[in-house]
Amino acid sequence: MAEIIVTTSGKGGVGKTTTSASIASGIARRGKKVAVIDFDIGLRNLDLIMGCERRVVYDFVNVIQGESTLKQALIKDKRIETLFVLAASQTRDKDALSLEGVRKVLDELIADGFDYIICDSPAGIEKGAHLAMYFADRAIVVVNPEVSSVRDSDRILGLLASKTQRAEKDESKVKEHLLLTRYSPKRVAAGEMMSVDDVKEILGIEVIGVIPESPDVLAASNAGTPVILNAESDVSLAYEDAVARLLGETVPLRFLEEPKKGFFARMFGG
Amino acid sequence: MTKAAPAAREPPFVIRFGPVGLAQMRVQTMDAAAVHAEVMARIASAPQLFERTAVCLDLGELEMVPTARDVRALLDAIKRAGMLPVALARGNEIVDGLARELDLPVVAQVRAVSKQSAEMQPKAEAPAAVPKAAALLDADSQGAVAQLHHQPVRSGQRVYARNRDLIVTTTVGAGAEVMADGCVHVYGALRGRALAGARGEITARVFCQEFNAELVSIAGVFRVFETIPAELVGKPVQAWLSGEDLHFARLGS
Ligand SMILES: Nc1ncnc2c1ncn2[C@@H]1O[C@H](COP(=O)(O)OP(=O)(O)OP(=O)(O)O)[C@@H](O)[C@H]1O
Ligand SMILES: [Mg+2]
Repeated sequence: MAEIIVTTSGKGGVGKTTTSASIASGIARRGKKVAVIDFDIGLRNLDLIMGCERRVVYDFVNVIQGESTLKQALIKDKRIETLFVLAASQTRDKDALSLEGVRKVLDELIADGFDYIICDSPAGIEKGAHLAMYFADRAIVVVNPEVSSVRDSDRILGLLASKTQRAEKDESKVKEHLLLTRYSPKRVAAGEMMSVDDVKEILGIEVIGVIPESPDVLAASNAGTPVILNAESDVSLAYEDAVARLLGETVPLRFLEEPKKGFFARMFGG
Repeated sequence: MTKAAPAAREPPFVIRFGPVGLAQMRVQTMDAAAVHAEVMARIASAPQLFERTAVCLDLGELEMVPTARDVRALLDAIKRAGMLPVALARGNEIVDGLARELDLPVVAQVRAVSKQSAEMQPKAEAPAAVPKAAALLDADSQGAVAQLHHQPVRSGQRVYARNRDLIVTTTVGAGAEVMADGCVHVYGALRGRALAGARGEITARVFCQEFNAELVSIAGVFRVFETIPAELVGKPVQAWLSGEDLHFARLGS
């Protein structure tokens, strides 16, 4: 049975698209058939992070408006056999999406045998974010360890519990996962950032992953590679752990402490 | 210097938010003649209670959306019969629109403070009026069990228990609002706003397991917490109203 997962946050720029790309790649790498959809109409950038921006011919809006088939619009990833991207339109505005249109596309993906459908939500709590979360079975709530991001995520959790199909039909609620990203143990220790425990206590939901702050993320997105595929990086390992937890495995949290400096680094004050 | 300037620098007015005695009239029909006749009958049966009483008109039970013109006709009929409609009861955006068109405020707190209304109750000379008055003011409050809420109340959400207590078994987030006509109980952290006695019940209280509230209000008397006093922060706390003042104290100590 297919699962629809929304990546959402309320606040902008916290790392939703980075997360969508890496989680989708991580699940697909395990042989599951995955589609990742960009709901950020007018500001598409999932395709950039996935490195397929030059192969976008048709997009999500074209499919909804009947200007292309879903098959024509799905972009097959060049690295992972079972991974597909549905890009957002750069030229339309968000009003081009409709609840019925989104439902039709999701139904077709499910009928096509996709195991996971990842919906990359735009920031905010307006229409685009509403449509991205509406059909979700699960939600990855992406949070940065600072007050305004946590507050917005609380808001989003409220919407997940009330403004989704599951809530409206009184079905079992959307499963909520907390993903803390841009986590800097050093700044947490210095009291400049909230700790995992602080955030967990305020939001009261289970943590699916803690992703460290790292320049590797920018490097990966410039290269058009989901950062999880950069085997050298802590960020990759942290996302891989999150994927494992999402699929039901029990993996301890790591990267919560500042990395111990090696002998040479210490000697040369690096 | 003109003489008009008073010696003491008294401001021209003092402003205060507090409970106001307002009867709530929940209309079931827009038939102005029928409402007029009923208001006359109520006043005849209990003039002390109903004559020139300030009334808040609640349109929430109507089956059809009325026009501003119909509402104005209804307001006139009520006024002619001897009560004084002064506001519309909070409803949806339609009510907001009507209120604007009619130049009336929209109010959420519409019930008289219990003590005052008790004093206002007619004595033995009009025995029939008491049950009637109770029926008008308190239609669905008889024996009401507290309203239970088991989900966290998240930022931007609002939970309101009408005519009863509210019990939240988990947390109330910053930017969330919990409100009851009775008491508010939060068996978790209270980080948002809690309003007890929302319609003027001065004996209502707020209880919480972990105090971090942004605002606490009882019967319209409120206090905003920019910073939480050290002796209360994170502690089990109750708040109550004594006279004009809100009091806060740790529970179980
Ligand atoms: N773990 C991380 N370490 C360092 N930088 C990061 C990390 N995660 C994301 N970023 C950076 O944060 C910025 C925003 O990331 P991203 O586009 O994924 O956020 P978003 O939530 O999708 O934004 P929007 O709300 O605009 O859609 C990017 O510049 C990205 O490189
Ligand atoms: Mg994004």
